Amino acid sequence: MKIALVGASGFVGTRMVERWCLGDHFEVVPVVRSFSSLAVMARFELPWQVCDSMDPSALAKAFQGCDAVVHAAIGDPAQIEKMADSIYRAAEAARVKRLVVLSSSSVHGQAPPPGTDETSPLHERHVMAYNNAKVRAEKILNRLSASGSVEVVMLRPSVVYGPRSRWIADTARQLLDGSACLIREGTAICNGIYVDNLIQAVELALQVPQAAGQAFLVGDAESVTWHAFYQIIANALGIGMETVRSIEPPVFPHPFKERVGNFAALPATQIVLPLIPGKLKRLTKLLLANWQEPTPGNVWKLRPETACTTTEELTLLQQCQWQLPNQKAQAILGYQPEVLFDEAMRRSLEWLKFAGLRNPSTN
Amino acid sequence: MPPANPIPVILVGCGAVSRFFYAPALTELQSKGVLRVETLVDPSAANLQPLAEVFPNAGKSARLEDATLASRLVIIASPPKFHAQATIHALQGGATVLCEKPMANTVAEAETMLEAAKASGSLLAVGLYKRFFPACESLKGLLEKAPLGHLQSFTIEEGGKFGWQAASDSFFRKNMTPGGVLLDIGVHVLDLLLWWFGEPASLNYEDDALGGQEANCRIELDYPGGARGVVRLSRDWQTRNEYTFHFERGVVRYKVNDANHLEIQTDGMPALLSGSLLTPRGVERSNPQSFIEQLLNVTATMQGLASLRVPGEEGIRSLRLIEQCYANRRLMPMPWLTTGETKAALHLASTKGDA
Repeated sequence: MKIALVGASGFVGTRMVERWCLGDHFEVVPVVRSFSSLAVMARFELPWQVCDSMDPSALAKAFQGCDAVVHAAIGDPAQIEKMADSIYRAAEAARVKRLVVLSSSSVHGQAPPPGTDETSPLHERHVMAYNNAKVRAEKILNRLSASGSVEVVMLRPSVVYGPRSRWIADTARQLLDGSACLIREGTAICNGIYVDNLIQAVELALQVPQAAGQAFLVGDAESVTWHAFYQIIANALGIGMETVRSIEPPVFPHPFKERVGNFAALPATQIVLPLIPGKLKRLTKLLLANWQEPTPGNVWKLRPETACTTTEELTLLQQCQWQLPNQKAQAILGYQPEVLFDEAMRRSLEWLKFAGLRNPSTN
Repeated sequence: MPPANPIPVILVGCGAVSRFFYAPALTELQSKGVLRVETLVDPSAANLQPLAEVFPNAGKSARLEDATLASRLVIIASPPKFHAQATIHALQGGATVLCEKPMANTVAEAETMLEAAKASGSLLAVGLYKRFFPACESLKGLLEKAPLGHLQSFTIEEGGKFGWQAASDSFFRKNMTPGGVLLDIGVHVLDLLLWWFGEPASLNYEDDALGGQEANCRIELDYPGGARGVVRLSRDWQTRNEYTFHFERGVVRYKVNDANHLEIQTDGMPALLSGSLLTPRGVERSNPQSFIEQLLNVTATMQGLASLRVPGEEGIRSLRLIEQCYANRRLMPMPWLTTGETKAALHLASTKGDA
């Protein structure tokens, strides 16, 4: 099966290229946005295509001769929506049969309420603009496929980890520099999926006829807490979990620039924007580019060795009390995660060693 | 002191390295009357245009063959595949050549460049400007004078996610560019190591190329004096970008591209001394100023006021070491691969590794 892979240079895409080039079942045509994105996949000799992932005609040329397309590209909220539209239209123009899209469980929020599954209604009132963009991207794809010829399958993974993932590398770096912290002892559920399990789900989504038109939550088989996830990485680095501070969820004030950006990305705003004079838009962009957030400081404070590092996304994820179910993926795709958590972490930690992330005091 | 007559310069190759490095450096030296950008050469009109805007008085040409060469400084900044041909042509025409790194794609090509320089009596310099960093010069002094005792070991980690604005995929096609990260940033690293320590007694080399170019590599080096070093390069993931030297009585760290800064911790010091390197007159020389310094060394040599700090004979040494690495190449262990994938990887690396 010949697959065009959009977003082939990302973390998931890189492993997908590796797995398919070293396997027998899939022939991959990597599609990336810039020549510099070829650096890692150039380990293989491949028929890559370099084109704008928001240009349907360029994408259609790149998809020529492919049986299916996998969309694993990332972007900002506006790009997420635009890519959904462009990639679908390009797939249709290239007469591709199926499009498998890496959506995200964040369409339900980072900490979805208990009982959430694929039947739970989606909304666009999430705190994070990324979540709302993913919801809108799914809606765009559903609308286009309802009247189009390309079958769409959407996968909704949550915390995708493995070699090269930020969940492994950044956590290790934070543990090493003493900035790692957990929300409320890390007792919340980490809805993780090892990258190979996600690719296994993609492979099933490419092939199972009944998957057409469906969205699937996908995750590892086990239920794991954030504390357990951190502990395995900390143990491998020879760092005690007592160095990981437990904190209450911080409040994240949304910077002015981000609020304006989110507002601009709303569909209603997009309709109104063309009516605003270009001069005014350029002036607003210039003002925003030079906008400095006020930074209050106090020199009369003891400096901690390192500040605790967390993000809004991580804070929300570390409050999740619900294990997202795999049942639908099991029933329709036949998905049974092929790599168990212990093995998945072993492989991830082996990559950490490969990447040279280590504890200098234990080497 | 600037020459009475600015040296005419021909810049061959108007891609990223010319736009981001040579254009500002040449602009500065042109304003000081040291040189004059006479001609820009590139087969691509799109590449020529931004440089033509910087140097509006320079002529534009698609071919070096159309330019007058005698007594010119020809800067070769085209893709490495074209270095040998352009350099030999320029040398035979009576020009001094400053050829960007890597000097050539292969040692065989570089040797023909050296032969052309010898036969023509023209100067051939290689663009390895990190030798001009105050930090690298200071490290050479620390290694030679040994105020912290003899070197025992070192580790070098350099690289990050590839960010260079490549203008085509030729940089990533093995038939166009025979090596990956080792031939790219590795040229600088190995050049500095050769400059600092001389030739290693032995080396082990492994990388992750699977029929194409390596994105990661690792070199273990042993030196005649007993020092041992490990070099890890990547265009895949963010490394520490740090060189650490363990001497008998202290540790010295150099952060990649931090041209005038070192960290030193000697025995007995509870804290790390982190500071800027200044000339005796209190002046800092930054990364861009080191690049300019390299150009000044070439122009001063053309005037008989200095000798070349990185002549072709020096530039070829890192290429030789790179070819030695590739000749002794082993596949890096990638323990996250499945058993079947590892088998396929070994097969690909062995059957296509020298393709």
